[in-house]
Amino acid sequence: MSMTKSQRRHTFSAFRYLVLTVWLTIVAFPMFWMVSTSFKPDREWFAWPPVYISENATLQNYLVVWADVSEYAVDETGNLETVAQSLQRPWTALGNSALISVISTTLTVLFGSVLAYGVSRYGILSEGRMFQLLMLRMVPPIVLIAPISIWYSALGLLDSITGLVMLYFLTTLPYAVWMSKSFIDEVPREMEQAAEILGASRMRTIWEVVLPLVRSGLVATFLFILILTWSEYLLALLLSKTAVVTLPVELSKYQGSTEGRVYGRQAALSVGITLPLIVVGLIIRKHLARGFSFGMVRR
Amino acid sequence: MTADATIDTTPAAGSKRERTRAQGIRRFKWAVLTPFLALMLFILMPALLLQGYFSFFAFSIFDAGENTGFSSYFEASEWVGLDLWSDALSDAKFGLAIIRSLLFATGVTVGCFIIGFALALLMYRPFRGQGIYYIFFILPMLTVPIVIAYTGEMILYQNGPLNDILSIITQTRVEAQFLYKQEVALTSIAFLEIWNWTPFSFIIMMAGLASLPKEPQEAAQILGANKWRIFWEVQVPLLRPVILLALILRFLESMAEFPKTWGLLQGGPGSATETVPVYIFINAWQFFDISYGAVLSYLILFMMAGIVLSAIWLLRREKKSLDAMYESKPQEG
Repeated sequence: MSMTKSQRRHTFSAFRYLVLTVWLTIVAFPMFWMVSTSFKPDREWFAWPPVYISENATLQNYLVVWADVSEYAVDETGNLETVAQSLQRPWTALGNSALISVISTTLTVLFGSVLAYGVSRYGILSEGRMFQLLMLRMVPPIVLIAPISIWYSALGLLDSITGLVMLYFLTTLPYAVWMSKSFIDEVPREMEQAAEILGASRMRTIWEVVLPLVRSGLVATFLFILILTWSEYLLALLLSKTAVVTLPVELSKYQGSTEGRVYGRQAALSVGITLPLIVVGLIIRKHLARGFSFGMVRR
Repeated sequence: MTADATIDTTPAAGSKRERTRAQGIRRFKWAVLTPFLALMLFILMPALLLQGYFSFFAFSIFDAGENTGFSSYFEASEWVGLDLWSDALSDAKFGLAIIRSLLFATGVTVGCFIIGFALALLMYRPFRGQGIYYIFFILPMLTVPIVIAYTGEMILYQNGPLNDILSIITQTRVEAQFLYKQEVALTSIAFLEIWNWTPFSFIIMMAGLASLPKEPQEAAQILGANKWRIFWEVQVPLLRPVILLALILRFLESMAEFPKTWGLLQGGPGSATETVPVYIFINAWQFFDISYGAVLSYLILFMMAGIVLSAIWLLRREKKSLDAMYESKPQEG
């Protein structure tokens, strides 16, 4: 009855692969469905039984959404094309999204990590203050959005990149500080002291001793904040009307259209929104393995 | 935020060098904090004050007329005292929205945590293929919520693949309405939210497990404890602060969930997905009842502050007891 040790190990290994593969399927399927739908011609969007991989794969969804090819689709169901045409071309939205998320993420991580360094090394914020900072993130943004939009209209910040960047900075700063502090805390102080004894200046110590050691951590922090700002919906929806539309808001217009659902077009746009983050994530994947424990574990 | 709390400014040794050092630190502190405090002061504070104003002065969009400038908001509002507050406190729909949000957030938190922790337990020791699984498992977090909402709709759609798969399994035509049926709509959104944010719990738990000290586990093994006991009596106690953090952050973030709920169902069918953010949104932005929205927002602000403060209290207690445990170790050994 009783299994030997190696048998047990084999059973565990098989069990592990089974469970992980089940979850892998659950994770991968929606991704697959999104990509597959983006290549389907319109008659297959709602077909029963559903089409998994289209035999009539077409680039039309991408062309209609991302390139201005109205004549390309004239012979197809015309009303679908009017939906796409009534919208701003998503390249503008892509530009806005990229600009806003990169600027605000860079500012947040830069500022947050300097603050975190001060907290870690000089205790410039007490533990209590650090937790108060976390509160900033924990209050749902919806509760302040109406007065902020009124205040922004007074300041002329409605529909502006600056306005969104400032709010993204405030709402993501707590995570930036907490995450980068947990990485900075891990750097042994002795190394900095050694560098100082050897005569290195403060700046040089930080630049050449601390920074290389926390680089992975900062990259992981950067990606996490980038995820939050790139995909932010509520603030972008309510504070930008026409001039500064971001990609998630652009996508939601398809759903709001009166022309009915346009799955293929939505999917083509969705792929475009998702791809940049996944590419960034894949490029920096080895930095992510360090994960985020927010300093809740002693190493 | 005041200066006195954190830095020991007393010139203990009195030496000039130490004084300039303290001065340097203070200068550094204010240089770093100033932009942050400026934003708080000029963006968030006025908003909070406006919110307070409108909760006592009822604003009416009809009085605002053509004028849409800043002053029009004040011209179009009149003093109503606590009327709106008592309205809100006896608003049954608001009560239901709070209950819905709490249930939603609890379900999502537990779901994310159980799956995330289970995956982390299976994965934190190296094995072949670990890297590939890891990359795939964080993908949902990299996906924009509004994209997840619409992709979710395509999958849950009546003629969608989920119904197809169910049909194949049961050998009958399944035409389940996952989104447009009152009983299941919020649950479906919760599953989308779990899919989206399980990676967050997973990554936190992976980091937690990977950084556990090896010695206590080895010691327990030598003493003959089995895996189960090591898990419950060594690993879990050491992980308590991380576990708590994973639960709290996820709970609070899903209390604020908006893109999927609004993007897909706008509170419907009926009012089945009217969570707190959606309910406030409907009042403030669809009915333009900024004043009522302000009152609701303040009430939620108080409620969330209560939840957050108790969460922070719990976290600090856990972290302190963990720190104390680690610090007492050298004396024992």
